[in-house]
Formats: sequence, C-alpha cells, structure tokens
Amino acid sequence: MKISRRQLLVGAGALGGAGLIYGLRFSGDAPVSAAGVTAPAAPPVDLARDYTDWLIVGRDGTVTACTGRVEMGQGLETVLYNLVSQAFDLPNERVRIVLGDTDTCPDDGTTIGSCATSEVGWGYWLTCGRARAELARLAALALECGEEELIYSGGLYRVANDESRAIGIGALGDGVPREAVIDPAAMPAAELEYVDRGTLRIGGEEIVTGRRIYAGDLEVEGCVYGGMLLPPYHDHSTKILDADLAAASEIPGVVSIEKHRGEVRAYAESYPALDKALAAVEVSWRKPARPEQLDLVNEIRDGRKLKEVIEERGDLERELGRCDRVFTETYQTQFASTTPMETETAVADVTSDRATVWVSTQSPFLDREKIARRLKLEESAVRVISTKVGGAFGAKAGHRVADEAAALSKRIGRPVKLVYSRRDQFQRFSRYKEAVIIDLRSGVDRDGRLRALGIDVMQDHGDGLVEVYAVPHVRTNLYETDLPAWHATMRGTSFSPDCFALESHIDSVARQMDFDPVEFRKQNVTLASFRPLLDACAEMAGYANYQRSDDRGLGFAICNHGGRQLGVVCAEVSVDRTTGEVKVEHLWAAYDIGTIINRNTALANIRGAMIWGIGYALFEEVAIDGHRAHASGFEHYRLPRFSDVPPIEVAFLDNQAPGSPRGCGEMPLVPTTGAICNAVCNAIGVRIHQLPFTPERVKSALEA
Amino acid sequence: MAKRDFRLLVNGKTRNVTAEPDEPLLWVLRDRLGLKGTKFGCGAGMCGTCKVLVDGEAWPSCRLTVSAAARGQKILTIEGLGTPERLSAIQKAFVQHGAFGCGYCTAGMIVAATALLMRKRNPTRSEIIAAMDGNLCRCAAYPDILAAIEEVAASTEEIEPTA
Ligand code: FES
Ligand code: FES
Repeated sequence: MKISRRQLLVGAGALGGAGLIYGLRFSGDAPVSAAGVTAPAAPPVDLARDYTDWLIVGRDGTVTACTGRVEMGQGLETVLYNLVSQAFDLPNERVRIVLGDTDTCPDDGTTIGSCATSEVGWGYWLTCGRARAELARLAALALECGEEELIYSGGLYRVANDESRAIGIGALGDGVPREAVIDPAAMPAAELEYVDRGTLRIGGEEIVTGRRIYAGDLEVEGCVYGGMLLPPYHDHSTKILDADLAAASEIPGVVSIEKHRGEVRAYAESYPALDKALAAVEVSWRKPARPEQLDLVNEIRDGRKLKEVIEERGDLERELGRCDRVFTETYQTQFASTTPMETETAVADVTSDRATVWVSTQSPFLDREKIARRLKLEESAVRVISTKVGGAFGAKAGHRVADEAAALSKRIGRPVKLVYSRRDQFQRFSRYKEAVIIDLRSGVDRDGRLRALGIDVMQDHGDGLVEVYAVPHVRTNLYETDLPAWHATMRGTSFSPDCFALESHIDSVARQMDFDPVEFRKQNVTLASFRPLLDACAEMAGYANYQRSDDRGLGFAICNHGGRQLGVVCAEVSVDRTTGEVKVEHLWAAYDIGTIINRNTALANIRGAMIWGIGYALFEEVAIDGHRAHASGFEHYRLPRFSDVPPIEVAFLDNQAPGSPRGCGEMPLVPTTGAICNAVCNAIGVRIHQLPFTPERVKSALEA
Repeated sequence: MAKRDFRLLVNGKTRNVTAEPDEPLLWVLRDRLGLKGTKFGCGAGMCGTCKVLVDGEAWPSCRLTVSAAARGQKILTIEGLGTPERLSAIQKAFVQHGAFGCGYCTAGMIVAATALLMRKRNPTRSEIIAAMDGNLCRCAAYPDILAAIEEVAASTEEIEPTA
C-alpha cells in the first residue's frame, strides 16, 4: 500500500456516495458504538468531516458502519460484519466497516476490557434495528403504501402483491445527504432477531497470504525510520550526562543523530541502520536515586497506603473471633508483560500545521489528544488512524508511540516510521502488570459456611475485587503501592492476581477442613448461576470418579468478571516431582457470557485467554530490581507455546435470553490460572503461595 | 561496510538489490523488495514471525544476512506460497479453521508448516508440535493452527506452492 503525501491530504475514493446517515445517540452512559479498520486509505477528508457517524446508507445500496474501536485480533470486524449484514440482509460485499479513524469515526473510547462486542457490537445491532424502522417509514412514503404492506430483503423494499413497486435502500435518500439522529427512546424497538451463523473470520485470505497491512507495512513517500535510545533505567527522565554520537553518525544509512530534549534520537534509511546507530551511541546516564537492590515484599508492605475500602459489611474482627476455624494466608504475584507479537509501531507525517499518524493502537482518540498536546496543535489538526493491530492486550492503550513518532517527524520535517525493538517493547517506560501481595483471613463454621472474610490487597488497581462468595462479615481493603516500575493494563487486569489469591485460599480452606472444594464453593457462592456452571464443569472433567495421584491432580477456580461474565474452569496437571516441571494436561470450562454473536470468534478469544492463563500461572515473569527490568527479549520471558497447550473443552450456560452479549476476551484467563494452581497443589499435596509456579518454586515446595 | 549488489532468488524470480552485506534478509525483503508479508517480531531468532523458506527449510529471516541468502538458494516468502484467489492447501486450512487472531504471526506459522509438510507429508501431532514450537503466537491461536495443520497432514493435497 503506497500513499503519497498528496493523497493523504486530499483523500481518495468515496464512501459510496452517502445518502442517508444514521447517528445513534445514547443518552446517559448507555453503550456507544465500536469497530475495525480496513486498509488505511481512509475515506476522503471532506466527506469525513461531515459524516462522523455510525451508519451510512450509501446511494449505491451499501451500508457503512464507522466506529472508533479497533480490530486487534479479537474479531470485532467480523462481529460487525455479521451484525450489519444480518440486520440489513445484505451480503458482506455491500457492507463496509470503518474502524479507529479519528476523522471519520465517533470517539467510542478505548478498545479494552473485552467490551467491544458487548458495547459497540450490540450498540450497532440496536442502531441497525432502528435504522431499519426509519428506512421502512421512508420506503412506505416513497412507494405510497402502508408500512405493513412492505416486504424487505437484500436491501430492497417491495410492496406485497405488487412486484412492480420496489425501491432500494440507496434510493431512499433521494441522492441528498440527510441525517436522522436516532433517539432510541423515540424509535420503535428493533424487531430483529440475531442468529449466529458461525461465519468464518473476515479477512482470512488477506491474512494467510501476507497481504494484511499493519502499521509497519505502510509506505509513505519520503519516510525514514526514526527512534530514540532506550534509557537503561525505569525512570525515563534519567539525565544523560554525556553522549558521544560520532561513531553512530558514521554508520552508513544514518540520516541524522542528535541529542534533543534529554533524548538521543536517530533517523536512518533502514531499520537495521537505525538499530546499529543507536547501539553505537556512547552514553553515560545519571544513576537513579533509588537503590538498585529491591526487596519486593518489603517494598510493597512498607510503601503501601490505604486507598479505598472496597467493601465493608458486618463486624469482621468480632466474627473471626467466634468462628470454628480461622485461616490466614498470603499470596503474591509477579510482574508480567503483554508482549504482543507486533511491537508498538507508528508512522507519522507532520507538517507545520497538521499531523497524520497511522498507528497500531487501542486508543486512537487518546493518541490524538497526546499528539495535539505534544505538538501544540488543535486536536482538529491531528488525524489518527488505527491500522490493523498485531496484538495489543493492553500494551497499546497507554502507549506513547503515536506522539513519539509525531515528535520525530516534526523535528526532521519528514514522515517517520517508528518501530519499537523487542527490547523497547519490554522496557520502554517500564510498564508492567504489577506484582501484588494479598493477605486473606477467613472464618468458617463447622458446616462449611464462610462467615468472615478479610482481604488486604496491595496493588495499584482494584477493579478485580468483585464479590464471589456470600459472606456476612467482610472487609476488603485496597492499598496502593509504590513500585519502581509502572502499572500497565494487561489482559486479565487485576482480576488475575485477585482471583488467584482468593481461589487458592478457598481451595486451601476447603481441603484443610476436608470439604470437597466444588461443594464448598457451591455452598458459599453469591450468585446461584455459579452452581450449574460448577456442575457442568465437574461433569465434563469426570470429577466424580477422578483419582488424583502423586504426580497428577485436578483443580477448580471460579471468576465473577464485573457481574457480567461468570466462568468456572477445571484443570488437570501433571507434575514432574524431580524437576518440578508442571504440564497442563487438560482444561475444561463452563461460562455464562450472554448472547454469542459469532461462535468461532468467541471460542478463539476464550481459548486464547485460557492459554494466557497457563502462561501467567506457570512461567510469565519479568525480573525487576530497583533500577531496571531484566527482560529484553523472548529469551528472558517465556510465552505459552504449542507444546504448552492442552485439549480445551468449553461449554456455555444455556440461559441465553435474547439480549446483549457480555464479552469473553479476558475473563477465561482469570479462573484458568487459579484452576491450574489448585491442580498443582492437589497433585503435590503442598500449597504454593507465589506466582508463577516455576519448576524451582514447585521443587522447593516439595522439598520443604 | 559499503553497500553491495546482491542477486536473490525470491518467489521464483531473480531480484537484484543493493544493500549492506550484513543487512538481515528480513529488512531486505520488506523494504527493498516490497514483500511486507514477512514480519518483524524480535530480530533475534526467538519468535518465528519472520520465517521464510530457504531451499525448502523454514529460517528466521532476521537471522540470515543478505549476503548469506544470495548464494543461489531458493527463497520463498508468504507471498510466494499462494494468492487470495489461489490459496495453498495450508493457507486454505488456516482460513477454514480461523487459525489466527491478529494475524501477525500467521505468515511465519504458514511458512513453518509448509516446510514441515514438504519434509514429512503426514506428520503425527507430536511431530507437528515439535516442528512448530519455535513459532510464537501471542493471540494463542494455537488450537486452531494445530487443527488446520493436522487437517492438511491427513489429506493428500499438494503442499508445494503453486503460485
Ligand atoms: S523476528 Fe525473526 S525470529 Fe523473531
Ligand atoms: S495471530 Fe496474533 S500473534 Fe498469532
């Protein structure tokens, strides 16, 4: 895909001659819309300014949907094709989905938290229903008949019993762009019923032949590679004391290299030349004030500050004093990294008064804000276009790559391509899913009823602290911590550490009291719908007749993800007692995630998330000290591979009342980790309190 | 090092390029020959996203210099394995199984699978896993990728690229 600078400014092609425009405005905090990006040849600027809306019925009978959400592998684009083509009874060729372009799409927020399908996708479905109602009204006027006489199919309204009277949806706008802002309260409810036809992913042919365009694949005339030297410390404001650029500037292919605003910046004709130049810079940095050695546990405990009492009910301390049994445990988790296969990448073209940036991003509108601030431009002078994203998982929501590329381009006066190295990907701005310590105290009566539960969570974010068990006396404290590295959003967010701790604790309590861990959970859960999920999962796993052995065990964990998604996972693991190595042998899962729009994409997301759960449980960890992280490549950070993946069986709770889907891209990760950890402890008969369950940790637990 | 001229055999055509001798083939393919299907993932031979076929074997192109790749070997990239209109058997199976999330690792996966099936037409599941274990997929589309490769492994379809 070649873009000339002229084209960028003027734009090419058209959205299909816009006819009718539908915008849906939800009032209050009701869901907004979503979407993906086709190739970055974005719709023309002149049209774009006028038509920042969700649904456009073109004069050519096409329907175009625009949303600020992005396609990053989760299948949002496919889901939107499914919804729009079904709502309008059109083939995919007559549907267009435009995603993540700040000039043509509404700001639908960041694509994160597995809510794109539930919010945007479902928002679209409702919009389509209302648009259909509006089109029927217009068609009845045009055909001079009653709406009840109309038959609709394939983009065409016909009058029943009169074949000669028909009109296509494209003609209903009379060729004049018109806008109908649809107020959901004023419109008849959609009478469409969505049916999942299990279609394949959109764009498969393009992906498997290497033709899909990602940010790094764009070619903009006159573009050079640009990059910044990575500071060796967590704190990127660390001062450069001395920089010798002579050797670096001699490297063939280097366009320029300079020290600018506390950064060393290089520009080169090729990526390898840039890489070499940055490696050849001789530089000394001021040492950080913080000591290099990091005693993580003390750092967290001593530095914690109470941030919020998340939940308080009854009298925890008094009840603990009265309970038959009281259990006190502490759990700890690790620093972890998102590591999408595509590193952060952006192409920026900045002129004196305009900036256009193509970027692999989850948050085009936030990027636009940052670029405008950094370049001192109005937001309206900045256009951010999200290209197809080569994986993100949180990394590409809080990133800086878009404004960095823009700053580089402005400085050199040419378009710049910025591609993070893998080392940059791991270390730039030192952002990780943070290590967490969680203290738990619980009181249980002799019948196995949880009476008291005190949880002290030492972590930056508390969104994962959702009630799972019905306990009359509760106190959940969230403490913020002060760690040398910064918090990054990562798939699973704080649900993963919180669930690991709670579900390990529950399992531990049940076993210490000789209760069956599944029955113990069934007895104590808040939401009744966990019970059929637990039963279904236990049955799939053959739990009733399961025989553990010294090197094989089974474990369960459950997760309530914001009250919207419920999941139960059962894992079987084998443990090599000599090496401490754990292998996940089988995973079974039962979920309640609402309506499924596309079974294929849903299952792909679910299995992918469960495999993430394996990595988080068993090996993903970034070693960190007070100065730096010690992971700069895959040689230091083990991701799940083919050989780690067990058979995965998934069932859905069959209660799908018509209604919105609730998303599934993250939640399945969370109980998978817990189930694996409980299975390991079931096999070895010892409780391990710290993630990940590496061979060394398992071995030392066995030796203790 | 000064730039030099190299003659590469890529996707059945002779291509002349001028590059630094130690420039990784990956960047020569992407930026000098316009073959963007081969992806950068780590630059260190650790992820497999950049794999290409070199005389029928899957190689990380980030670890092969242009001078080492210009010794008459036949190089095949993802673009040379099939086109959207004429997919190879493996590509077709990937589409049918939806064997990708973001698609960024897919070219490397297909190259590795093609090399395996060219060497051994009916590998077992554990042979497939062993051959593919150096290819990482952060979307973790592994189950669908495995199913796609197994399906072709069990078939009698032509593996050799036709494009
Ligand atoms: S980019 Fe070559 S192996 Fe990762
Ligand atoms: S499909 Fe996204 S990394 Fe494999």
